[in-house]
Amino acid sequence: MDTTTALETAQSLLQPWAQTVTQPEPHRSDFVVAPADLLAAVQALMDARWGYLGAITGVDLPAPAPAEGQPPAESHLAALYQFFNGAAVATLRVTVTHAQPVLPSICDIIPSATIYERELIEMFGFDIENTPVTDHLLLPDDWPQNVYPLRKSFTGFGGAESA
Amino acid sequence: MNNIFPLIALLIFPGGLFLMASGLVYEWVDRKLIARYQNRVGPRWFQPLADVVKLLAKEEIIPTGVSRGLFVALPVIGMAGALTAALYVPIAGFAPSFSFAGDLVVTLYLLSMMTLCLGLAGANTTDRFSLIGATRTLTQLFSYEAPFLLALLGPAIVAGTWNIAEINNFAGQNIWLVVTQLMGFLVALVGLLGKLEMPPFDAPEAETEIVSGALTEYSGRGLALFRLGKDVELVVGLTLVASFYLGGIANPLEFLLKTLGLLIVMAGMQSLFARLRIDQTVGLWWRIGALLALVQLLVLIVVRVLR
Amino acid sequence: MTNQSQPQKFIVPIGPQHPALKEPGHFEFGVDGEIVTSATIRLGFVHRGIEKATEDRTWVQNLYLLERICGICSNIHGTVYAIGVEKLAGVEIPPRAKYIRTIVAELERVHSHLLWLGVAAHEGGFDTLFMYSWRDRETVMDLLEGLSGNRVNYSTNLIGGVKFDINEKQADEIRRGLDFLEERTHYYMKVVTTDETFLGRTRDIGTMTREQAELLGAVGPTARASGVPRDVRSESPYLAYNEHPIQLQVHDGGDLLARFIVRLNELFDTYRLIRELLDHMPAGDLTVRVPRRIPEGEVLIRGEAPRGELVYYLKSSGSDKPDRIKVRTPSLCNWGTISHVAVGHKLADMPMLLVGIDPCFSCNDRLVTVNNTQNSQDLTWDALRRYGIEYYK
Repeated sequence: MDTTTALETAQSLLQPWAQTVTQPEPHRSDFVVAPADLLAAVQALMDARWGYLGAITGVDLPAPAPAEGQPPAESHLAALYQFFNGAAVATLRVTVTHAQPVLPSICDIIPSATIYERELIEMFGFDIENTPVTDHLLLPDDWPQNVYPLRKSFTGFGGAESA
Repeated sequence: MNNIFPLIALLIFPGGLFLMASGLVYEWVDRKLIARYQNRVGPRWFQPLADVVKLLAKEEIIPTGVSRGLFVALPVIGMAGALTAALYVPIAGFAPSFSFAGDLVVTLYLLSMMTLCLGLAGANTTDRFSLIGATRTLTQLFSYEAPFLLALLGPAIVAGTWNIAEINNFAGQNIWLVVTQLMGFLVALVGLLGKLEMPPFDAPEAETEIVSGALTEYSGRGLALFRLGKDVELVVGLTLVASFYLGGIANPLEFLLKTLGLLIVMAGMQSLFARLRIDQTVGLWWRIGALLALVQLLVLIVVRVLR
Repeated sequence: MTNQSQPQKFIVPIGPQHPALKEPGHFEFGVDGEIVTSATIRLGFVHRGIEKATEDRTWVQNLYLLERICGICSNIHGTVYAIGVEKLAGVEIPPRAKYIRTIVAELERVHSHLLWLGVAAHEGGFDTLFMYSWRDRETVMDLLEGLSGNRVNYSTNLIGGVKFDINEKQADEIRRGLDFLEERTHYYMKVVTTDETFLGRTRDIGTMTREQAELLGAVGPTARASGVPRDVRSESPYLAYNEHPIQLQVHDGGDLLARFIVRLNELFDTYRLIRELLDHMPAGDLTVRVPRRIPEGEVLIRGEAPRGELVYYLKSSGSDKPDRIKVRTPSLCNWGTISHVAVGHKLADMPMLLVGIDPCFSCNDRLVTVNNTQNSQDLTWDALRRYGIEYYK
């Protein structure tokens, strides 16, 4: 299966759930998916044996500083579920708000996703429902609650780190 | 004078100081040989001595949760066992200091003291690595001990005596027993490797799994004594095998040549093989080692009866 | 046995500091006698916060930072990152630079696989093989030093090209070195596949079927040893792998022995590939100009590190600093396989199982740590001295 047909297959598989589809590079397609549809979309890819889960990348998207007199806009977190099939890459892009960063766990479908989901929880403060393990994977055990280092708002605990 | 001779034999020669010194030298030879086989430079000649001196100078830490008396006494007992065993074997080619009709059996038991002490020392602590190390040490003891004993019985049966000195004389006057009892010789040599927990039988102290096994919690004086004890056991074991299988030991030169020759072979075996898992060790000994030794023994008995 | 008198589970901790581990990690193996009944993993002992740190540094500074994610496969991190930034900036590097990047990447694979061979042999208690393979590894280290001036962090890459050229004399030296290594690798292959004691430690140990490997997301030689034909160099060729394809090395065994065979076969293929690349080096420049500000955009770059697939996700907001860099290292994928495969094996097999995936702790632990000033005490030198004297009184 060459790259183009692979991406076309992915597009037809994800048709019911993708809100928008873009193709930033010839070998890469981005599918914007609602959190509620994530499980169904992942299941569709896996049922068709379309590649494997390469990574889940978290991205913090803080709202720009509000203009004079405007109410502050809402900050978002995005999770990119990246699937690889040969040279083809399909990204499921799920966006949630800082206020309610809830995502379903895909560990039932792909057990190896647990490591990425733990990373999302620790680093970005996602709230992943039904993920099997929520222990700290990378951060120290005495890391304070509700401090998420990879969010843009985190700039260290002051002192030596500020430089 | 009658009282002084045994004291000298115990403390200076051939027991005590001389034995410890030669143990350290043999350890160095062993380490150096393995290093050369593995294309390394290896330690300098005083390294084993320096290790012991350093350990003796260090604080001995007694962990919590152990029986203090046992913890301190075990290395001493093990060491004493090895040193006493040396009194019955022809160290350096001289006649054994003490000798009686059944001293072969006693010597073998004394040599096992060391391993028993190691096992106890490991079981005495609450450390998990030590506990597993102790289990493995004792498991290994049960696997090699019987074949090793059988392998040393071969020469005894041929010589018709249980006295080490007499077997030594017998071996010196006849054709080298390694020619007639090759299987027994191999079992004895490999048994010695197992007894000393040298590679490939070093599962009881496999550093990549259980740090240093039963001795993990030992430091300072206790560790130094255990290590010295093993060195002494190496010398005694080599002497025993050389005098039984390599045509006896009649003078210091013969002693040096024969034991060092054996050590060269042993060092080669140590660097040739990958470490055996403990279940593989047990399997090897009971499936092959014991069988070989038994067949050897059977042949000897049949030949003897036919004559 | 001792553990039978205790109702609770007997747990053998391995790490963070342990002779089997060259880097800190923590494993807890529940054992019943010698049989492992459970395994858990805890990482993070060598966090350095690199992903967060990249957001504070310029694109060029990050090249040097990211190369230090891993001491063994330093070059591939720099290479994959540089490819990504070049893609974002829309520049194409000269062909000669591509070839040099590929050659160094493959030399790094040689060094990494030989290092792994030694470590794996050591875990199995086969120190002679360990010493031999590390001695021979010096050859490739010397070659890399001859090229770059460094034995470990070669610093081959610039954004937009490479730093050094390979002249004919150096190429000949590499060819000679490879001839020697090829002969040695044949010897190791013979040892690994015929030595009975070593086979006893590798044959049918840690077997992972193709289904398991796919389900658990294994990558690199670990996956290929289970029959999964997965190699970025052939799936999605980058650099010079288009012109000079690799021969995919796959084995169906799935056990430790298969991992040895796959890695050694890969060495043979790598030797062939380097010779081919040296013979066909195009002439030309080594660098092109890259703007300081990288245009807005996102890229996802994959490369085949010695341990498997390495993924970089770069997001630029159009400034001279990245907005987000995500690194997915191959070791992270392969961890999952251990806890799954470990159960039911002997404790003595654990070190070899751990090493079987060629783990790299620094790679995993690249994320974030910040001094937790609430808990740490800042001591002056005098205070520390007093504390020490007091402590040892």
